[in-house]
Amino acid sequence: MKYALVTGASKGIGRAVAIQLARDGYYIIINYNSSKVGATKTLDEVQQVGSAGELMKFDVTDAGEVKVAFDGWAQNHAGEYIEVLVNNAGIRKDNLMMWMPEEDWHEVLNISLQGFFNVTQPLLKNMLAKKFGRIVNIASLSGIKGLPGQVNYAAAKGGLIAATKALALEIARKNVTVNAVAPGFISTDMTQGLDEKELSKNIPAGRFGTADEVASLVSFLVSKQASYITGEVISINGGLYT
Amino acid sequence: MGNVNTEEVIEKIRIILAEEFEIDINTIQPDANLMQTLELDSLDLVDMVVLVEQNFGFTVTGKDFANIKTFRDFYGFIIERMNAAE
Repeated sequence: MKYALVTGASKGIGRAVAIQLARDGYYIIINYNSSKVGATKTLDEVQQVGSAGELMKFDVTDAGEVKVAFDGWAQNHAGEYIEVLVNNAGIRKDNLMMWMPEEDWHEVLNISLQGFFNVTQPLLKNMLAKKFGRIVNIASLSGIKGLPGQVNYAAAKGGLIAATKALALEIARKNVTVNAVAPGFISTDMTQGLDEKELSKNIPAGRFGTADEVASLVSFLVSKQASYITGEVISINGGLYT
Repeated sequence: MGNVNTEEVIEKIRIILAEEFEIDINTIQPDANLMQTLELDSLDLVDMVVLVEQNFGFTVTGKDFANIKTFRDFYGFIIERMNAAE
């Protein structure tokens, strides 16, 4: 059995990635924190495409909680390991920095960046020991070029991109790849409330992307065919920023 | 003093290391440098961590290796942990 963990998989891009990796033959570990209903729906869809999976609840910002979840999983899966990790959990708390509450800065960074560390580090040992692993970090266009109103989100995703590159260099020779995907405007809950029609005028492709399109990219990056791609940040933004 | 048979443990460690890292067991001498002899760098220590876990049943961290320079240090570390576990 091949195991893939997707954090924040109860909706949006995380759910789409979970379903696509299920199609690829992975057993999916669906992480969620607050939305058990959404995570259960993801599991239903994973099963509908002919694979299997399980829910795994933890808050990515709580290293202790993550460890308990992983230790429990390892006890029930002796000799097996999670070979694919998709760090997708993240939130937006947009505001001009002038008016940004300090807690919004910390919360956004904690989930995207501290969460990356908390979840990735415990899984590295087995990936390195087994000499195979795939880590894909869901970043953002905001982390590459910066977007106004997203100083916290841009910092979190920019940090995630830098961490992606550094970790990739550390572990490349163990056949573990680390890449980031940087979506532009994607139609999900996270972009609800944005003026899609107006914003699409500035996108060369003329539309928002879909979560399934992002999931297809992740699917390729975790495949054997992508073995020689590591430390890269792949934009998926309809030509909005190249 | 613990109850672990020191000589047996040392011999077991030598055999495991020689097999895992495919080196002549005679190069594993007490005062030889562990990392150099086994041709390990810091990333390869993950293999040592897994080896210890699988063969001796306890968890090792990167910090534990900070004070281990020679095979003698390594034997001492393993024996100490085994005695502590008894």
